Amino acid sequence: MSSVILNDITKFYGNIQIIYNFSNVFNDHEFITLLGPSGCGKTTLLRMVAGFEKPSSGEIKIGEKIVNSKNKFIPPEDRGIGMVFQSYAVWPHMNVFENVAYPLRIKKFSKNEINDRVKNILEAVHLLEYINRMPNELSGGQQQRVALARALVSEPGVLLLDEPLSNLDAKLREFMRFEIKEMQKKFGITVIYVTHDQNEAMAMSDRIIVLNAGKVQQVGTPLNIYNKPVNKFVADFVGRVNFLNATAEAENGIIKFADGQFIKYSGDKNKFKSGKIILAVRPENIEINNNSGMLRGKLINSYYLGDINDCRINIGNENNNDNNNNNILRVFLPGNTYGKINADSEIYLNFDDYIIFDGDNE
Amino acid sequence: MRKFFNLKFILIFLIVSFLIIFNVFPMSYLIFRSFFDSNNFSFSFDAFKRIYNYSLNWNALTNTLITAFFSMVFGLIIAFPLAWLIGRTNLYFKKFFRTLFVMTYMVPPYVGAMAWLRLLNPKVGTLNLFLAKIFNLSENPFNIYSLSGLIWVLTTFYYPYAFITISRAMEKMDPSFEEASRISGASPLKTLLNITLPIMLPSIVAAGLLVFISAASCYGIPSIIGAPGHIDTVTTRIIDYVYVGSAEGLTDATTLAVSLMIIANLVLYFSNFVCAKKNYITVSGKSVRPNIIDLGKWRIFFTVLVFIFALIVIVIPFASVIMTSFTKNLGKPLTASNFTWRYWNILFTRKGILETAVNSLISASVAATAGVIISCVMAWLLTRTNNKFKSVPDFLITLGSGTPSIVIALGLIMTMSGKFGINIYNTLFIMIVAYIIKYLLMGMRTITSAMNQIHFSLEEASLISGAGWFQSFKNITLPLIAPSVVAGWFLIFMPSFYELTMSTLLYSTDTKTIGYELFTYQTYHSQQTASAIATGILLLVIIINWILNKLTKGEFSI
Amino acid sequence: MKKFFIFISVVIMIFLCSSAFGAANKPKIMIYTSMYEDIIESMTETLSEKFPDYDIKFFYGGTGTLQAKIAAERDSGKLGCDMLMVADPSYALELKADGLLHAYISSEAKNILSDLEFDPEGYWYPVRNLNMILAYNPEKFNKNDLPKSFKGFAYNSSVKNFISMPNPLTAGTALVAISALKNKYGYEYFNKLAENNVMVESGSVALTKLETGECKIIMILEESILKKREEEDSSLEVIYPEDGVICVPSPIMTINDKWSAHGNSKICEKLTDWFLSEEGQKYIVKGWMHSVRKNPPAIPYDSINTENIVKNSMPVDWQKCLNERSELRKNFDEIVKN
Repeated sequence: MSSVILNDITKFYGNIQIIYNFSNVFNDHEFITLLGPSGCGKTTLLRMVAGFEKPSSGEIKIGEKIVNSKNKFIPPEDRGIGMVFQSYAVWPHMNVFENVAYPLRIKKFSKNEINDRVKNILEAVHLLEYINRMPNELSGGQQQRVALARALVSEPGVLLLDEPLSNLDAKLREFMRFEIKEMQKKFGITVIYVTHDQNEAMAMSDRIIVLNAGKVQQVGTPLNIYNKPVNKFVADFVGRVNFLNATAEAENGIIKFADGQFIKYSGDKNKFKSGKIILAVRPENIEINNNSGMLRGKLINSYYLGDINDCRINIGNENNNDNNNNNILRVFLPGNTYGKINADSEIYLNFDDYIIFDGDNE
Repeated sequence: MRKFFNLKFILIFLIVSFLIIFNVFPMSYLIFRSFFDSNNFSFSFDAFKRIYNYSLNWNALTNTLITAFFSMVFGLIIAFPLAWLIGRTNLYFKKFFRTLFVMTYMVPPYVGAMAWLRLLNPKVGTLNLFLAKIFNLSENPFNIYSLSGLIWVLTTFYYPYAFITISRAMEKMDPSFEEASRISGASPLKTLLNITLPIMLPSIVAAGLLVFISAASCYGIPSIIGAPGHIDTVTTRIIDYVYVGSAEGLTDATTLAVSLMIIANLVLYFSNFVCAKKNYITVSGKSVRPNIIDLGKWRIFFTVLVFIFALIVIVIPFASVIMTSFTKNLGKPLTASNFTWRYWNILFTRKGILETAVNSLISASVAATAGVIISCVMAWLLTRTNNKFKSVPDFLITLGSGTPSIVIALGLIMTMSGKFGINIYNTLFIMIVAYIIKYLLMGMRTITSAMNQIHFSLEEASLISGAGWFQSFKNITLPLIAPSVVAGWFLIFMPSFYELTMSTLLYSTDTKTIGYELFTYQTYHSQQTASAIATGILLLVIIINWILNKLTKGEFSI
Repeated sequence: MKKFFIFISVVIMIFLCSSAFGAANKPKIMIYTSMYEDIIESMTETLSEKFPDYDIKFFYGGTGTLQAKIAAERDSGKLGCDMLMVADPSYALELKADGLLHAYISSEAKNILSDLEFDPEGYWYPVRNLNMILAYNPEKFNKNDLPKSFKGFAYNSSVKNFISMPNPLTAGTALVAISALKNKYGYEYFNKLAENNVMVESGSVALTKLETGECKIIMILEESILKKREEEDSSLEVIYPEDGVICVPSPIMTINDKWSAHGNSKICEKLTDWFLSEEGQKYIVKGWMHSVRKNPPAIPYDSINTENIVKNSMPVDWQKCLNERSELRKNFDEIVKN
């Protein structure tokens, strides 16, 4: 329905810069997630789109309309967007109907239309039977859905969600992810979603923008972000990862680890240069293969997580169990392998799905 | 665990017994005296009939109700927008304005009454003459010696009570309530009316109640403004009856006091009834950066508006008070030949003034210190325990503050002068007790709300580390709520320091207070000396504020 | 936080100590008085030189205030004072009748102005002469346009809304004044005061109104006008009313040992002598009140001859003033203040 264009946005609080030259186009119907640790500027960006904060410089366009530029500022109420807040912000002095009807009343819809629309949207969020309840009679998840209904009732072009699920328990959170995604599809709306939870981001987004300290780290599809992180930060923040200090020897086509073990380099030869590197490998991409495994190691401990056998394996010298020396690998094995690996015997590991970062790329 | 329970019980018991002895018992005695004949103990309304057959008293009652009601309404009309502008928008000089408005709370109200009298008296009021000249009026526009004059002065001196209460609630309110409304398409004004105002309603009612009770129990202002226009209020009548000095006079005073108390309690009950249904928990889970509403093109307009308000309500009367303290002859303008340090000299040399200042300093400090200790204990009981009796002291404290001060004083005199085994009349202790009962609530509310915002887990962590609950409270909770404790201390200290209404009845030879001394200078000896004392108090407040600010490294300031 | 409490406790300690060390262990005399604190201040220094072995303290309050206080104290069986110097002589009659006073024949009694009454048994003596007069401001209004008598003050409608008088509920002299005026003109005088819309308020307030022109003429004690003239270069002027100044010879009395706070009646006798002596009276005159002695040591600043004032004063029946006290206050309340 509407695209959102942010062009060269910066934001200062006093002398502290919060956002560094952010530019992006959020397409119509797209589900965009701003992902990053707290303080990375994601909420500030969202609030600038909403109109609760003004960028220090840059331009914001919603649809065809410039809502924020050097000499123009359209206040939140005239931007035609919906928003769901972390604390739900369901008004305690109004019942469910009144809460959801409020945006329509403000826009002077007729009584009948308000009635119809509120009922429709409440049905969509499965709250129709609670229409006359007061907010304090609702559970957290129900309040969340009231907030969602209220944000959607006037059919905005853009929906902003500010960590909407962080106050819910784990089960409900997963359910609501699905609900929100369904609503987005149903209304064909552009969604900008802010979260620090990578699972949420992965599950719902068309595109993820990873932010850190006010700077964009990577923009891409969940698949892209997870499998092709462009730097250590993204690799570390999205999913779990092992970082190993190593040396690349281009002439031999091998990657050598601290105490002499090495693996063969399997990727594009043209990109492979000699020097210090950091090798990033995800725990689930490592397998044990005592026949063809290239890295010798020893099991230190393992934890049974049901679906997963979470192991730590030392690939360095015998007695060095210190986690900081880059010799310990975390490995996810299938759950049914738990208890079948002998701690004393040598095991051999194999992986070819990994990413190489420059050694000085801290 | 067993010991833990006992301790709570003992604390509740101690606080409750203090309140019962010094609050409930005296009030009950007053009620008893006004309904029962002292000779044959028969129940009758005779005392009320006699009192209200006398039209002067009836008028006094209606005057009290009218002035208190309108002061409440106007106080809220002023306080709410001010609190909103200062707490929620990008008004210029917000911090300065905030300090300025809270400062009014720190100054004795009757001092301002005198200033208004000079500014707005119907014949030669300075401001009156000025306005008449500017707008070319045939007669002076204002008459301070009227009900509306009384309402005006009461409003200008009691709106800070509402301002403080509402500001505090507004700070606690989750800003996303307002943001959710803005994003729904409502303008800031509509948001204010549809969302902020209704959500704040309980606090607004509480603030209004505070203003109503304060205005209804005020003695200084009506005695100065009301007298020339023959406008009596219940408080001035009560003091008059006490001054008549006869037993009959005392009974009449009691009966009037009881009617005032009944009205106050009805209002209290009614407001609790309204609020109980709508007690929203508005504290947000996460500490949110308060969203600042951009006033846009209105920013300068509102700043100017607030500035003009401050100018009229604070700067002009205060400047008038300060100038008076240097004026030799009040009939002439303050020129070089009419300038004198004489009254400031008196302020620092007269033994009477110094002694009363010491008395007030001691009683107010003790009251404030005892008050914050009780407040801390109450805050702990209210926010950290589930003891079912904890609401009893809470209710009694609210009741005490809801009782007009004149009634508290009268009750204490009649019961605490030896008749029932306790004789604290003629000691500073009776003042301290009265101050605690009257002003405890302000301190308790402040500290409780601070405690509400500190998660229990912090204390639990300490308890688990092996510290006792008292140690935990001292080491963990107290440092975290320290700024509120200091603020609470001041909220009790300041009004106690210059208290007039209760002190007028309770003072004695060695326990005269600065408030009463100031009032006698104001009305009998010399207004210039009174103005010098008042300015001195103001300076003292500013200095203490400054010292505290330095000591706590900016953690605390008014 | 800690610093804050240390700061507060240090402040309290300092004051507690300073007040504790201030009072040495001398026999105490407490005097309740309605005299201005300025005058008390100047007297205390001399008194501490004259009576170095005693700790003489004054407590200031309006007569009504003090009466209320004493009424409350009588309930507990002891008064808080040893001597009393209130304005209203009729109060002395009441306390004498109630048996609270100590009798002492002062050697100074013979020097008291013959026109002034005192108790032959020595229960009370007049110690200062207060004069209720009228006053105006020559800078704002012409004396010829103003009434020159108490009668005119209430009856002359040209000053309607522009007059002010003290409150008989709190001020003893005001009670005496309305008693005298009622005797002379009947309760009609009250009605006339009401018709003329008199403002009932305390002295300092009324004076300011006279200075600023808010009042044309006020009923007030002579001393307050004289004080203003001397201290503030004020141009306010006294009008000695044609129907007689209302003269209030304020008594000094000693509470007997049964009722007094400290039981030092012997010292009080000496104090009585001193107050009536030429030296004591000098302080009275310095405080703009008239002396009670036959040959006054002086007349107050800018005032006129004491004996003339007393001779031409409006008669007051003290016993009647006492008997009618409640009635007068009540009627005044009802007629004038309503």
